[in-house]
Amino acid sequence: MPKGALHMLAAVLWLSQTADSLAVSVKPQAVQDLQYGEVLFHFYQQDYFNAITRLMVAQEQDRLPHHRDEAELLLGGMQLSYGLLDEARDRFSRLLDEDSDARVRNRAWYYLARLAYQRGEQHTALDAIARVKKPGDRTVAAETALLDANIHMQLGQNAEAASLLEKARAPKEMQEYLQINRGIALLRAGKLKEGRRILDKVGRTHTENEELLALRDRANLGLGYELIRAGDAAAARQYLNRVRVQSPFVHAALLGAGWADAETGDYRKALGPWLSLLRLGDYEPAVQEAHLAVPYAFSRLGDVRRATYYYERAIDYFDDESRQLQQAIDAVRGDVLLRMLGQVDTTISGGWLNDNAVLKEIPAGRYLVEVLAGDAFQETLKDYRDLGYLQNLLQQSRSNIELYHDMVDTRRQAYEQRAPGIRKRLQENRVGALEQRWRRYQSLVEKQRAHGDPLALANGKELKELERLDSIDARLAKAPHDARLDRLRERARWLRGILYWQVQDDFKARLWNTEKQLRETRTLLDRAGERRRRLTQALESARTGFDGYDERIETVRKRIDSLIPRIAAARSAASENIRRLALKELELRKQRLASYRSQARYALARSYDQLSQQHGEKP
Amino acid sequence: MNSLIRVLVIAFSFLPVLVLAETDGAPRGANEEVQKLKKEALELNRDLFLLEEELLFPSNTQISVFVSMDVGKFFQLDSVKLKIDGKEVADYLYTRRELDALARGGVQRLYIGNVRTGEHELVAFFIGKGPHGRDYKRGATTTVKKGLGPKYVELKIVDHTSDFQPEFEVREW
Repeated sequence: MPKGALHMLAAVLWLSQTADSLAVSVKPQAVQDLQYGEVLFHFYQQDYFNAITRLMVAQEQDRLPHHRDEAELLLGGMQLSYGLLDEARDRFSRLLDEDSDARVRNRAWYYLARLAYQRGEQHTALDAIARVKKPGDRTVAAETALLDANIHMQLGQNAEAASLLEKARAPKEMQEYLQINRGIALLRAGKLKEGRRILDKVGRTHTENEELLALRDRANLGLGYELIRAGDAAAARQYLNRVRVQSPFVHAALLGAGWADAETGDYRKALGPWLSLLRLGDYEPAVQEAHLAVPYAFSRLGDVRRATYYYERAIDYFDDESRQLQQAIDAVRGDVLLRMLGQVDTTISGGWLNDNAVLKEIPAGRYLVEVLAGDAFQETLKDYRDLGYLQNLLQQSRSNIELYHDMVDTRRQAYEQRAPGIRKRLQENRVGALEQRWRRYQSLVEKQRAHGDPLALANGKELKELERLDSIDARLAKAPHDARLDRLRERARWLRGILYWQVQDDFKARLWNTEKQLRETRTLLDRAGERRRRLTQALESARTGFDGYDERIETVRKRIDSLIPRIAAARSAASENIRRLALKELELRKQRLASYRSQARYALARSYDQLSQQHGEKP
Repeated sequence: MNSLIRVLVIAFSFLPVLVLAETDGAPRGANEEVQKLKKEALELNRDLFLLEEELLFPSNTQISVFVSMDVGKFFQLDSVKLKIDGKEVADYLYTRRELDALARGGVQRLYIGNVRTGEHELVAFFIGKGPHGRDYKRGATTTVKKGLGPKYVELKIVDHTSDFQPEFEVREW
């Protein structure tokens, strides 16, 4: 057995790693592009659909200049998590072909190995992981070693897997994962003592990490069963006792604990955990087996009456369970399963596991809930849920299509209203008039620079004063000569001289200043010209732009319309697949119950014989 | 060990493997079709996203406000309120998953909207638990200048180790 259970254990250990290991790989980067951080925000919530969408949008808008390579790796990793295995493989292969740096190539090989591992193509996986160069980063090194070891374990090369994990470097928080896997690899390699030593040591370190505690429970359970198989029942009991009461493996641990006691011949002690299982009154396989184990223990203890009682009780229990199983089978053949699946929340992307509480509300569905929670269903259920999310999203997008058209129409109307006014103002060409004025001033300044008349650069106040002086001079020219008027003429000439001197003295500065202002005006005029050009262009292209939007919206609408029925069909196929798997699983359980019942029936007949022999009467 | 017990051990032990093996029973073609549909839906969603952004938030008026966090040791964020030019545009209550994503380096786009070119006052209130688990509310005000391209503003919660207080930085991108 334990080989089989450990096989599953190793797989589960790995599965529990995968999502986090990718997250760990991208964690240490400082975000240099906001949009990359936005992608991470969705990615860390395992909302892969929105994370991938945002990453693709950011790439399209060229908003990830600092994270180009990481973005490609992250995209491939998310595609892997979202079930787009072919896309992910193509992306990683492209990263290998391109002129990427060694770190990116390393990660690409790692993901290609993981992809092949997930697909069960272990030799391809082994070839890819062999190409990963020894990573410098301890986290990446640990992830690589874990994957490498898991591939080897899948190929039955357990000793090699253990050796890989022994040599691997790992950060503190990942060491226990490696050690648990190493212990399992050693157990599978038949090195029971060494594997046990490692798992024993791991089990003693203190942790409050729930995930690690669950892994330990699994490891202790696996080790316990392995030890029973190896004939060391006393040691097995010790490890089975370590499985926590609140652990989901407690049923299997109790059953195993009873076996370990039975193995040592202590059936009275074995009754402790087995009767506890009966009190749990559950429908777990372990509880079902306990219904056989308890009377068997009593018969071994020579207590035929109690054995008879518990065999009768077991038969009633199996009959009752069989009826419920049949109800579940009938329900699956009807529409209960579909109704149950209909309760799955598809309004958010990701987080399927959060839906279990809703599923449990279905009456007569306890078997279905348990069956659906099994590993075999998870991928199909995930597809079913993802398709439901896409259905919702597309329906919503479809209803927005008219809104998009309305928005374009609103813009078109606004354009039709405003465009004539704008066109008229453009035709007035104010920029052109300003341009002419600027050229006039430019030519004036050039003349001044060549052979300047300083008064040409006089300011408004000075020009007014000059005009007044001209007017005074004109009036004085007509006036007769006398001493008083001559003094006035002299004063006017003096004032003109002062004014002229003031302007001439300041001429260079004024010329420089005027040239500066002209240059500044040039820049403003250039900008205005550019705006005019753009506005004219926008005005002309707006009409085409609206038509372009209409075309884009229509293309999108057609794509939505084509996808909706295909998604509905795929979802229906997924639900049919779930139904088929569920029926198969339920039938299997029913057969198992029938087998248990016939064993109980046979044992009961023997008990009756023993009782009649004891009392000389027939039952 | 007694033969019955041995049978039980074997029967029980291989059960999970049998269940696991069922995974391979799913039709291969179905999964390929699902992959194809997911790929097409993602590409469609990207195009819708781009179209919507162009129509609703053209770059000459677009403003986006992001929230990020470095360590978050001295401040446990509950919600953020955002006002632009005196008008409340966002009031966001965080879930545990979102806070975890922020703490790991994710950046949340809190708001996307439209403003005219020019200066705008942006006020953010961070509400949560401060040092020693006390209720904590702090505001950060800044004036941002909107130009022709899209405007990105980051509100960052950082731990100020010198006085064990959270700091709220505003960065324009």
